[in-house]
Amino acid sequence: MKLTKQEIQFIDNYLIKNEVKFWDVRIELLDHIVSAVEDKMTNEGISFNEALLDVHRSFGNQFIEFGVSKDKIFEKGLYQSNAGFKKFIRNKQKEIGRKNRKRYWVIFRETFFLQKFILEYIVFILAIFITYQYKPKAAFMIALLALVVPELLKFKYVFKKGVRHSLNANMVGLLNTSFLCFQGMFLDFYKDEFTYNGIIDYRYIICFYVLVYPLVRVSFNLYKEVLNTTKERYKLLIS
Amino acid sequence: MSNSKLYKGSLNTIILKLLNEHDKMYGYEITQKVKALTKGELKITEGALYPALHKLEAEGLLDVEVAKVDNRLRKYYKLTETGTKETVTKLEELAEYIKTMQALVNPKLA
Repeated sequence: MKLTKQEIQFIDNYLIKNEVKFWDVRIELLDHIVSAVEDKMTNEGISFNEALLDVHRSFGNQFIEFGVSKDKIFEKGLYQSNAGFKKFIRNKQKEIGRKNRKRYWVIFRETFFLQKFILEYIVFILAIFITYQYKPKAAFMIALLALVVPELLKFKYVFKKGVRHSLNANMVGLLNTSFLCFQGMFLDFYKDEFTYNGIIDYRYIICFYVLVYPLVRVSFNLYKEVLNTTKERYKLLIS
Repeated sequence: MSNSKLYKGSLNTIILKLLNEHDKMYGYEITQKVKALTKGELKITEGALYPALHKLEAEGLLDVEVAKVDNRLRKYYKLTETGTKETVTKLEELAEYIKTMQALVNPKLA
């Protein structure tokens, strides 16, 4: 027995109410629940409500029927606990993090053998080195800008619905931002080391930025890669 | 299922083996296939299946393909090249384990 579009929508709304906000997490749960409900209705001959409640429990969402009147069991049962879904999301988050870290180092190794990147890195270092001879502060600004630009480019995407409500996109975005926070922490921590009689010595800061540049660049490449997959899947979802 | 703890360590191998025999499978299909193959003796719970699938995906053993089916999206899992190699290793390990257990539990058959 196939569920109607309205029944599928009902399950999707029930998942949202149970705090499964990210659509890329919800699609997997939705498909599983719909398949299981259809199966139970066909093979066990039970109603939609009974089947959905059964599947809800099978995800580890506990429901204590004691004290609940029979006509309220369905309604209360679906929203009494979402512990199973929360665990599902936590686990997914952990695995996405692992996947991103693994992919990050693969892209990192690939990038270092790309002629295009080697050239880009050499031009970046030369631009900073030459600028430093004349205006150290300007060299510092160029280096800082190179780290901030990927973060600014992200703003083009982060507010789009498909990206904003995607766990994959959110997590990879966070990895990107962490590099920016890291450099901020570095500067804050060692600020006294770079200042002599009130004058800032930009040498070490610039060297640090030059070293961090490939890490940020790779992180942005990973962001773009995940974003493309996310956008492709979201397009399929709303089609 | 009589004792789920006995099967727990073999879940990844079961998933890999099934995916090795099929081009691609989705979550619910895996649970039903295992149930059918074991005549209902082994039921993989949702709470165990998805963490295992996501872990295998994170390790690069599985790849994901998304398709639109009956008004919803479906995530299909399939083996990567590394996953196919790993399946062979895992199955060998499992066969060795069964052999060892057999020698311990029933030496006559071993």
